[in-house]
Amino acid sequence: MSKTLATAGGYNPAIMYDNHLMNRPPASFLVRLLQAPFTRRAWAELLYSLVTFPLAIAGFVVTVAGIGNGPLWAVSAPGVRKLGAASRVLAGQLLGENVPAPPRLQPRPSVRVTTPDPGRLAAALAEAGAKSRRREGRGEVTVRNTSPSRVAEIAAEAGVTVGSLRSSRSLAWYVGAMYDKPAWRARGYLAVKLPLAVADLVAVAVGWLGGLFLLTYPAWRQLAPIGPVGGFQLTNLASSFLLIPAGAVLLLAGPRLMHKLTMADRYLIRELLGPHSAAERVRALEESRARVVDDSAARLRSIERDLHDGTQAQLVALAMKLGLAKEKLGATAPVDLARITQLVDDAHRSAVEAIAELRTVTRGIHPPVLDNGLTDALATLAARSAVPVELVTDIPERPTAAIETIAYFSAAEMLTNVAKHSGGRHATLEAVHVPGLLRIRVTDDGHGGARPTPHGGLNGLAERVRPVDGRLDIVSPRGGPTVITVELPSHA
Amino acid sequence: MRIVIAEDAAVIRAGLVEILTDRGHEVAAAVGDAEALKAAVAEHHPDVAITDVRMPPNYTDEGLRAAIEIRRDQPGIGILVFSQYVETRYAADLLAMGSGGVGYLLKDRVADVSEFTGAIARIAAGGTALDPEVVTGLLNASRHASALAVLTARERDVLALMAEGRSNSAIADHLVVSERAVEKHISNIFSKLGLPPSDSDHRRVLAVLAYLGT
Repeated sequence: MSKTLATAGGYNPAIMYDNHLMNRPPASFLVRLLQAPFTRRAWAELLYSLVTFPLAIAGFVVTVAGIGNGPLWAVSAPGVRKLGAASRVLAGQLLGENVPAPPRLQPRPSVRVTTPDPGRLAAALAEAGAKSRRREGRGEVTVRNTSPSRVAEIAAEAGVTVGSLRSSRSLAWYVGAMYDKPAWRARGYLAVKLPLAVADLVAVAVGWLGGLFLLTYPAWRQLAPIGPVGGFQLTNLASSFLLIPAGAVLLLAGPRLMHKLTMADRYLIRELLGPHSAAERVRALEESRARVVDDSAARLRSIERDLHDGTQAQLVALAMKLGLAKEKLGATAPVDLARITQLVDDAHRSAVEAIAELRTVTRGIHPPVLDNGLTDALATLAARSAVPVELVTDIPERPTAAIETIAYFSAAEMLTNVAKHSGGRHATLEAVHVPGLLRIRVTDDGHGGARPTPHGGLNGLAERVRPVDGRLDIVSPRGGPTVITVELPSHA
Repeated sequence: MRIVIAEDAAVIRAGLVEILTDRGHEVAAAVGDAEALKAAVAEHHPDVAITDVRMPPNYTDEGLRAAIEIRRDQPGIGILVFSQYVETRYAADLLAMGSGGVGYLLKDRVADVSEFTGAIARIAAGGTALDPEVVTGLLNASRHASALAVLTARERDVLALMAEGRSNSAIADHLVVSERAVEKHISNIFSKLGLPPSDSDHRRVLAVLAYLGT
C-alpha cells in the first residue's frame, strides 16, 4: 500500500496529504500525466507559489534597498529573518519541506574607548586584527567584535593610555545584525526567490489559466477571439476546436513546470534558510575532523610521555635495584643482608609506584569504571573531586560509548576547573539523558567570571564536544554562580 | 673513576648514582638536563659522562647534541648515551665522532649491573659499548647486506659481539667457545669482508663499525 502511495504522489503523502488513489493499483504514466493537474501536490504547490509571491517582493525590496546602506542593512536584519522564517514555515506546511531554524541573532561584543591617542590605538587594534573606527573629535575609538578585556590588553601591549572602556550593547547589536549570517543568507534566498516566484506565476498563468482558456475556447471564441494565426481566423466553431489540444498540453505541462520550480525553491530553502549551508557544514566537519586527528595525535604523544617518564622510568629503576641485589646475593664475599634488604625494599616501592602510575595513565585513556555506565563513572569522578560534589543523575538509557567517554572527560574537566579556578566550595554535577540528548551540567558557588581562553580548560571543553556536534553553554556572571552545560547527542 | 650523569628522570638518576657508588666510582655530578651536563663536564673533567637523549626543555635529542659537543671540545672524555629507545640515526651520529670512548646503551641494560659497569670501564679505556639492539639496527641498515650474507651464522654472531665492543675473551665466554676459535672466526670475517687485519680490540671494532656505517 505504501508503494501505491509513493508512486501516486511522487513522495510519501501519508504525512501531509490524504490521497484518493489510495486503494488503486499503481497508475500508469499516462494516467499520472493526466492526473497531474489535479493532485493534492499540484494544488499545494500552486497555493505555495501564490502565497509566497508577496513575500518574495517584500524580501527583494528590502534587500535591494539595503545594498550600499549600512544602517538599513543592519536594521532590516530581523525583518529579513522573519521573511525567511515565514518562507520556511510555508514550505513546511504546504510542501512538507521541514528545515530547522537558524540560530538567533547574536550581538557581537563591541567597545567604545576614549583615549588621548586614537590614531595609535586604532593602529594597534588593526595590527591585532580588530576592526575599529576612530572618532577624532571625541577622542573616541569604537571597536567591533572584540571584548573589552581584549581591547584593554591590546592597548596595554601598545602602551596606549585608555580613558574609559565601555562595552556598547547597541553597537554590539548593530554589528551582530550587520554580519548576521542567517540574515545574509535569507537575503540571498529572497533575492533569488523573486525571479523564481515570477516564473511560478507565469507557469500558473500560462499553464492553468491559459490551458483552461484554450480548453474551453469554443465557448469564448466570440468574446475573446484569437488570431489570425498563420492566416487562419479562429472565430468559427470548427476551427476553434483546434485549440483544445493545445489547452490540454498547457494544462498538463503547467503543474510539471511548477513542480520543477518548487523543487528548486525547496533546494534553496534547505541551503539558505536552514542553520548552515551545506558548504559551511562541510567546512565545519573538515575542521572538526582535523581537530580530532590533531587531538588524537597529541593524546598519543602525551600518553607516550606519561609512560616514558613515569612507568618506564620506574621499571628501569626497579631493574637496577634488583640487579644490584641479585649480584650482592651471588657474591663470594659475605652477604650484606641489611644492604640487600634495603635494595629489595626500594625495588618493591618502585614496583608499587610503577603500578600506580600505570593506573593513572590507563585511566586517562579509558576509565574502566565507564564500562559500568556513566552513572557509576560520574559517581567515582565526583567522589575523587577536590571540591565536594553533589551528584544528580537521570540516565535511564545508555548513550553510545563515544558519547559516554566525551561526557565523562567533559565532566572531569569541568570539576577540575571548579577546583582550580572557581574558588567555589561546593559543586553540583547533573547528568540527564532524555531521548536524543545527554546534558551534563556543573554548577558551582565560586566567584564566576569564567571565560574561554586559548589553551584554557573551557576552550578544551568546547573542542572536546564539537566533533560530535555537541554544545557548550557558559553562564558565569561576576560574583557567580557559574553554570556550565554540555549537551551531546545520544549517538555519535 | 669520575663520572658525571645527566638524566631527567629522578628515579633513574638516583639508581645510577647508587650503582656506580656501590661499585666504588665517584659520581662528581648528577644533573637533569643537557646545559647542566655541559657545565658539570667543564667543571669536573670526568672520565666518563653518562647522558640520556631526551631531556628538558624540548624532550627531543638534547642529550645527544650535548654529547657530540663534549666530544668535540674535550675528546678525552668517554661518553655513554643511555636511552629508552634505540635510534639507528643517533648511533650513526655517535659513531661519526670517530675515535673510541663512546657507548650507546638501552636503559634496560643497567639491570645487569656487571655488564653495565663493564661497559663503562670499556668506554673509559677508549673502547666502545654498543647495545645489541644498536648493532642489530646497524647490521640491518648496512648497505653491505650482500657481503654480510656470505658470513656463516656463527661468524655473524661474532661480528655482532665485536661490534658491541667486546674483547676476544668476552666473545669466547659469551659463545662458550675457545679464544682460539674466536680469533679464527674473526680472521675469516675480516678476509670475507675485505677489511685489513688489525690486532688491537678497539681498532678492530672501529674498522667493523666504519664498515657497517658506510
